[in-house]
Amino acid sequence: MTVTQRTPQLSAEAVISAPRRQLLRQAAGGDRLPQNGQAQAADGQTMDISGWPVKKIAMRGGLYAAVLAICVYSFFPIYWMILSSLRAPDKLFLDTSLVLWPPDLSSYKSLLQLTNYPINFLNSVLMAVATIVVATTLSSFIAYGATRLRFRGKTTLVASMLFAYMFPPLMLVIPMSAAFRAVGLADSLGGLLIAHLAISLPLAVWLLWGFFKAMPFDLEEAAMVDGCSQFGAFVKVVLPLSAPGLITVGIFSFLLSWADYVFALVLIMSDQNKALPVALASMLGAQDLRWGEILAGASLIALPLFVIFAFCYRYFVAGLTAGALKG
Amino acid sequence: MKQDRRIIALFVGSVLILGVIVGGPLLYSIKLSFYTAASFIDTPRWVGSGNYLEIMADPLFWGALVNGLVISISAIVLQVVLGISIALVLNRQFIGQTIVRALSIVPYFLPTVVACLVAQWMFDPNYGLIKSIMASFGRGMFDWGAEPSTAKGMVVLVSVWIWTPFVVTCVLAGLQTIPSQLYEAARVDGASAWKQFWHITLPGLRSVLIVVVLLRGIWMFNKFDVIWLLTKGGPMNETETLPTLAYRRAFIEFDLGAGAAVATVSFLFLAIVILIYLRFFPIDEAKQGR
Repeated sequence: MTVTQRTPQLSAEAVISAPRRQLLRQAAGGDRLPQNGQAQAADGQTMDISGWPVKKIAMRGGLYAAVLAICVYSFFPIYWMILSSLRAPDKLFLDTSLVLWPPDLSSYKSLLQLTNYPINFLNSVLMAVATIVVATTLSSFIAYGATRLRFRGKTTLVASMLFAYMFPPLMLVIPMSAAFRAVGLADSLGGLLIAHLAISLPLAVWLLWGFFKAMPFDLEEAAMVDGCSQFGAFVKVVLPLSAPGLITVGIFSFLLSWADYVFALVLIMSDQNKALPVALASMLGAQDLRWGEILAGASLIALPLFVIFAFCYRYFVAGLTAGALKG
Repeated sequence: MKQDRRIIALFVGSVLILGVIVGGPLLYSIKLSFYTAASFIDTPRWVGSGNYLEIMADPLFWGALVNGLVISISAIVLQVVLGISIALVLNRQFIGQTIVRALSIVPYFLPTVVACLVAQWMFDPNYGLIKSIMASFGRGMFDWGAEPSTAKGMVVLVSVWIWTPFVVTCVLAGLQTIPSQLYEAARVDGASAWKQFWHITLPGLRSVLIVVVLLRGIWMFNKFDVIWLLTKGGPMNETETLPTLAYRRAFIEFDLGAGAAVATVSFLFLAIVILIYLRFFPIDEAKQGR
C-alpha cells in the first residue's frame, strides 16, 4: 500500500536526526519560529509609560496561561490518582483537598498483602522482559535481512507489517484462544507471550527497517574487507551502532506488553497467571469500594513507565514521530 | 557482497515465526467465521455464510457499527482540533518548554487500564471528584455511565485524553517543516494571526494531518479496551461497537464463529473506508510535511 512509500525515510530520519534538529532549533532561537509572541508583538504595538509594549505583555501572559492549562489538563488526573492512593482509607471518600501530608501508605500495604498483586506484577514483568528480548532479537534479524539481502518482495514484506496494524485485535485473539486451547497453551504465560509478540513484532520490524536502511553499507563493508564475516559485521558493527533504534524498539515492545488488556483478558483465566491490567480491572467489579487499593495498584503500574520515561524521553518521541506504534 | 548463510538462516527463521504467529491467527479467524460450535469443546460444524447472514440480520450489529462511527469520528475531530491547539502553544518559546512538552505526552504512554480506572474514580457517582465539584455548585448526584449520551461522551473524553498527545507530537514535528519566510512575508503583507494560521500553517500541516487522521481512525475504530473498561458496551448497548460485539459474541455467548465473523466484517469495512480515504487523500503526495 502507498503508506510505505514515504514513511521509511521519515522513520530513519526521525530517529537519527531528531536530536540534531533539536539543536539547530535551539541554536536558531526565536528566529526560526517567527510565529512566536515576541516577533508578532514587535510591530505596531502600543507602548505604556514604562516602555513595555502592552500587547507583548498580554501575549506573554496569555501564553503562560495556556501552558499552565495544558499542564493541568495533561497531568491533573495522574496527580489525583497518586494523591488518592496516598490518602487514609477513612478520608478517601470525603476529602477532596489538593495537597496531602503526611502520605498514608495503608492502601499500598493492603494491596500488597491481601491481594494477588505481587504475583500479577511479577507476571507482567516476566511478559514484558520476554517480549522485549524476543521481539528486539527477531525484528533485528528480519529488518537487517530486509535491507541487506537480495530477494524479491522486500517491499511487500515490510508493507505487510503495516497491514498487521489494521487488523482488529479481536481478529487475532479469537483464533488464538481457540488454537491455544487445542495445543494446551490455554491459560498459560507462554501463550500470552506469543500474543504479545504478535502485536509488537510488526511494529519492531517497521521501526528497525527504517533504521537499518538509513545506515550506510560502507561500515559493514569495511569490516568485511578486514576479514569479518557478514554475520560478524552485523553483530560487531551494525548492532552497536543501532543502539538508539534498538532502545526505541525495546521501549515500544515494553509498552505494548505492559499495557496490554485485550489479549490478557481473553487468554488468561486463573488469578495466578493474570497480568497486572486485567487483575487490576477485575478488582473494580469484584470488591466494592476498594478504590484505595485500585488506585494504589494503578499508580504502581504507571511507576515503571514514569521512570523509563524520565530517562528515555528522547526515544519515546523518536518512536512516535517514526510513524509508529501503539494505538 | 557475499551473502552470509547465517544471516539468511536467521532472517528466514524469524520471518517464518512472524508469519505463523501473525498470519496464522488471521487466516484461522477467517476459517472460524465459516464454522459454528455450541461451545469450546464442541466439534465445529461448517455453516458457510451462515454466521455472516446471522450477524447482518442482527440490529445490534448495525447499531454497533453506527456507535463505532459516532465515537471514532467525534474522538478524532476533538483530538485533531485540541492537538493542533496544544501544538501551537507548545511551539512558542517559553520557560520550561522541554518539561511541559514531556508532561503533555505522558497520558499517551499510560496503560489504558490506568487512564480508565482514574476516569471511573473521578466520575464515580457517589464519591468522585466531579460529584464533589458539582455538589459545591448545588447539583445532585449523576451517574455518567448510565445515560446513553454521557456514556458515549465519557468514552470519547477518555480516548481524547489518552491519544491527543500523538497528534500534538506529529503536528509539532510538522510545524518545524513550514519555512519561516512564509510567515515573514505574510506579516509584511499585514496578514492577521488567524489568516496566517489558515493560509500557511494549516496547508503546511496537511500531509501530517492526513497520516494522523488515518492512523487514529484505524485505531479508534478497532478500540476495544477503553469501551470495555468504561462501559462494557452499556447502557442498553449504546456504547457497543464492533470490537465489543465481537468479544461479546465470542467469549460471553461462546459463539466463536459469530465473533470471528463480526471481526472479519469489521476489518473489511475498515479496509474499504481506508481505500476510499486514500483515494481522496493520497499519501505519496503527502510528504509528511517535507
